Amino acid sequence: MTSTVTPQRRQRLLDMMRIRAFETALASRKDHGFQLLSSGEEAVAVGLCSALEPGDDLLTGGRSIGPALARGVPAGPLMAELLGKVDGPNQGRAGRGHMSDPGSGFFGAHAVVGGNLSVAAGVALARRLSRSSSIVVVMFGDGACGQGALHETLNIAAKLRLPLLFLCNNNGLSVSTAWDDAMATSRLSDLGATFGMPSRTIDGLDVTTVANAVADSVSGIRRGDGPAFLETVSIRLRSHSTTARETRSREQLAELKLRCPIAAEIGRLGLPSDELSALEQQARREATSALAFADASPYPIADSVLDHVG
Amino acid sequence: MSDSAAPTTSKMFFREAVARAVREEMRANSRVLILGQDVGAFGGSYREYDGIFAEFGPDRVIDMPVAENATIGVGAGAAAAGFRPLVTITYMDFLMLGFDPLINYAAKLRYKTAGALTAPLVVKTTSGAQGQGVAHSQCLEAWLMSVPGLQVVAPSNPADAYGLMKSALRADGPVVYIDHKRLFPTPGEVPVEEHTVPFGKAATRRSGQDVTLVTHGYMVVVALEAARRLAEQGVDCDVIDLRSLAPLDLEHIVASVERTGRLVTVEEGQLTCGVGVEIAARVFESIGPRPVVRVGALPAPVSSNRVLERACVPDPDSVCAAVAAVMSQ
Repeated sequence: MTSTVTPQRRQRLLDMMRIRAFETALASRKDHGFQLLSSGEEAVAVGLCSALEPGDDLLTGGRSIGPALARGVPAGPLMAELLGKVDGPNQGRAGRGHMSDPGSGFFGAHAVVGGNLSVAAGVALARRLSRSSSIVVVMFGDGACGQGALHETLNIAAKLRLPLLFLCNNNGLSVSTAWDDAMATSRLSDLGATFGMPSRTIDGLDVTTVANAVADSVSGIRRGDGPAFLETVSIRLRSHSTTARETRSREQLAELKLRCPIAAEIGRLGLPSDELSALEQQARREATSALAFADASPYPIADSVLDHVG
Repeated sequence: MSDSAAPTTSKMFFREAVARAVREEMRANSRVLILGQDVGAFGGSYREYDGIFAEFGPDRVIDMPVAENATIGVGAGAAAAGFRPLVTITYMDFLMLGFDPLINYAAKLRYKTAGALTAPLVVKTTSGAQGQGVAHSQCLEAWLMSVPGLQVVAPSNPADAYGLMKSALRADGPVVYIDHKRLFPTPGEVPVEEHTVPFGKAATRRSGQDVTLVTHGYMVVVALEAARRLAEQGVDCDVIDLRSLAPLDLEHIVASVERTGRLVTVEEGQLTCGVGVEIAARVFESIGPRPVVRVGALPAPVSSNRVLERACVPDPDSVCAAVAAVMSQ
């Protein structure tokens, strides 16, 4: 029996599974290094990227792997970059915190919290000056919302009417600090509203909700209305990083798992089990072959340490 | 009678030299932009952009709010995306607000992308003591010199201001261009012909045999005055104007110190981890130790109090004393 699920919704589910399988494969490695994973946040990256055009630019903070995959950075080179191999898009020099692949629409990560906000505004200024119809999205977390850089950039983007979407993915925690223990605003989207831009807080666990909200925001930005702000409320199923200790109890984590955005989408779509397992296998195969690609790629030679300094 | 020869130089103030360089580069390259506070119709805090806004308009000369961090970040992002922004930061002390985009992003972009992206960003700022107090007076060149991927230049005269600004606006990576406030009232001759001053080339301002003085920016004026007084006492100083702090023209300095056998470094910033210690170490690594004395600010903040400010930063007397000390070693 063939399901009646649209190709677009099936693709979004697959893309979320791809991120989960990729990050699980990476985390299973002893040599995974210092990674920030996005289990529980897949619907944000996938919903966002499904609403973008090929010429648009995405910039992120350090939690970059899911967004990069969703944006279309090929899995093999991405895994190579994360493991420090020369066949990564940045020859293994940038890693998770700083990788970029502008040809895929992923302009880059910058792992200083809030550091990419003003850079993204500069990219948006460049696109506007070039009379391009493409827009720029900068993803950041609730942890970046206390940074002065955000407030400065919101103001500048609004005054210059830049084609920029501020996508604040509120996963609830900045390392161990709950977002509402750090911030005095009642919603993070209030920050965008303060500067007069369309601002909404939406469910970041429902990929369709995210895709529709982004599409709506982006159409205004593309029309020339200036920037917009979206807060996606999501969850983080793992600790802050692969080297950070978990601060939540088993019970809390078990409760969070029940809200997994992938499981939720599977529940909504009601796919037959054979189709579902075909999608899961496809996601796992991609992760496995990404690891094989990375393993086949060499580390850089030490003598290249001074290349491309200035 | 033949036509009188056209003048080969014209007298200009710093601000006029900067404006000329910027205007020429903006005409030649539509990707050159200006971002900063009061850069538009106001013409810049030092009138260094007089007439630029009228010619190029608000798309290319963009007034920004007081937000140094984001302004440098916007410049860095626009640079990464193919433009050549000139970001004005009124005082060097305020650069600290924008160190993340300047140092963590722009200076590392080429390296971290293995050459795929660069940030051809120029940050123009001012340094030096002129009665404005502890957070408007500092000379932080040495901090910047230690950042891989960042170029740092500091002219001592309008001709170099023009030529270094031209080079900065054509450079591949981020450049910090530093004018010293005390130089602004002093005009200088600038060649009429369009030209550039390459980075990494020092200039000898006075040739001498007894001791090498290495300096930059306004301290070139101070060192030359000291050299004039010392000449009356029979001490012959070789005065080198670095012009470019990163890259550093080590060859030029080494050749002079080899000849004179003595080194005095003169800077307005702090001596600890300063320009002078870096120069001395590199010279000695190259040719072995020589007598050296460093001149710089005393280890105190620079007050707006006239007496304390004067007591803190070097003057011709302190340079003369340093030369006397090195001559007696």
